Amino acid sequence: MNSQIKHIHQQLVDKQITCTALVQARLDLLKQNTHNTVNSLLDNSALELAAKVDAKIANDETIGLLEGIPFGIKDVYMVQGTYATASSDLLKNYKSAYTATSIQKLLDAGAIPLVKENCDSFGHGSSSENTIFGAVKNAINPNLVGGGSSGGSAVNVAKDYTVFSIGGDTGGSVRQPAGYNNVYGLKPTYGRISRFGLMAYASSTDCVGPLAKSIEDIRIVLNTMSGKDAKDQTTYASAEINEASILNSEGIKTVGYFKNFIESDAINAQVKSDFLASIEKIKAKGIEVKALDFFESNTLVSTYYTLAMAETASNLSRLDGTNYGDRVESGNLKETYSVTRSEKFSKETKRRIVGGNQVLSQGFSDEIYLKGLALRDQISENFENDFNEVDIILSPVTPSTPPKIGDSLKDPHAMYLSDAYTVGFSLGQLPTLTIPKGTATGLQISAAKNNDELVLKFANFLKDTI
Amino acid sequence: MSKIMTVDILSSIKGAQASEAVSKLFDVIKNAHPTNNNAVNNANNNAVSLNDLREDVVIESSAIEKQIIKENFPNEKNGFLVVSKVIEE
Repeated sequence: MNSQIKHIHQQLVDKQITCTALVQARLDLLKQNTHNTVNSLLDNSALELAAKVDAKIANDETIGLLEGIPFGIKDVYMVQGTYATASSDLLKNYKSAYTATSIQKLLDAGAIPLVKENCDSFGHGSSSENTIFGAVKNAINPNLVGGGSSGGSAVNVAKDYTVFSIGGDTGGSVRQPAGYNNVYGLKPTYGRISRFGLMAYASSTDCVGPLAKSIEDIRIVLNTMSGKDAKDQTTYASAEINEASILNSEGIKTVGYFKNFIESDAINAQVKSDFLASIEKIKAKGIEVKALDFFESNTLVSTYYTLAMAETASNLSRLDGTNYGDRVESGNLKETYSVTRSEKFSKETKRRIVGGNQVLSQGFSDEIYLKGLALRDQISENFENDFNEVDIILSPVTPSTPPKIGDSLKDPHAMYLSDAYTVGFSLGQLPTLTIPKGTATGLQISAAKNNDELVLKFANFLKDTI
Repeated sequence: MSKIMTVDILSSIKGAQASEAVSKLFDVIKNAHPTNNNAVNNANNNAVSLNDLREDVVIESSAIEKQIIKENFPNEKNGFLVVSKVIEE
């Protein structure tokens, strides 16, 4: 599919549609939708912004490419004056006091936010069922999960309720729902986009990521949000990616894939054969393909979850009902903390907080946490060595197709293992894009750190090859 | 600091217990053999350089920001923000 942003921009400029009609139509779709993608609608502010865009067009003023383009925001971002619930009971009445840097950049470019989108509470989940707003239903088959944690964002894009959406990816939370709903979803290099104003899950892998229906729209939104931000000191300055520079696959000579991902018993037979067929098509285009050794899925998933739980236990310790959130008063201060947290956190969030505190507690930390960090170092080193040999690493997004609604909640360990193909790239802080091609849940394209441009370039090549 | 604290106390979650699903993950790490046990996080060094620290300045919050922060406070009485009863042990 071609750029929807450019198409709508042209329609606005040519006065074929008004921005108000465009925004109203999308709001109506969101309001009526039965996929549980909406936590709150920003209808008043969206229509006010749309009227301003229409006034500019009526006065023959030039409008920017993103001006008037309706988009969605995962409900873990701060947008001043709007609810930011993280799909949790604890924060269901919490209002953002300020706006996230990434979202502010989109607002400055004139894009219009329509909706705060349903997701797994605090990003804790792979199915968008861990939410107080009802399980997100898959865009293609509503009996299946929408994926997670950015499930509402992926479904909104897939159903054309939003032109693009901004998700958050800590261990695959943009890429997996993108795969489950057949849209594009990018986890940029860690630090390319500021995390300021994104509720922290696991700070060392949290990334802001766009979901859209075309590579071009991903490029436009990525460029708009990227850049150094004094409010997030892990950010770095990055060059803008030009449209022309990603149109051909020049410079991509070698592609690698992880043997053990494909030879695993856990992979669905169809996903496996589709993936191998994609590899053959790439070879047929004269690109060398190398099978690479990598860590076992079990090690990747365990390393990721060990570190992520430790970080989330620390990050969520601030949520005690003292300054904000729903406080449940009890006998004294400590009792109030624990009753509030016991009653207001979901089962999965509590499981991760408890796991994290186990990891960090005396006696355990050497055996688990430090070892987890050492494994992460090794995983990153492995990637560095791989990218001396290959330009791109290609992998399936998930071992299987989306589960039925209800199944993931029954077996959390199986849900953790379903993240086997996404978490490694998070630990490596690599740019990784899901494209809705190749297998039923798409393909993941990864490149070396800071090489987001190469990822988009190969995506364009793959889009035309498969 | 030799006092042993259980996970429910550490987590401030009543009745919290270790879960089987999570223990399975930890077992994998316990049985792993990293080639280097002294993690220094070389590969993912996101620390900011001393030359690149942001200015140490106080930024005044806007009136709307202050207003929302007050609105978010869970308990208010006669114009005061009410905290829970503090105990000393």
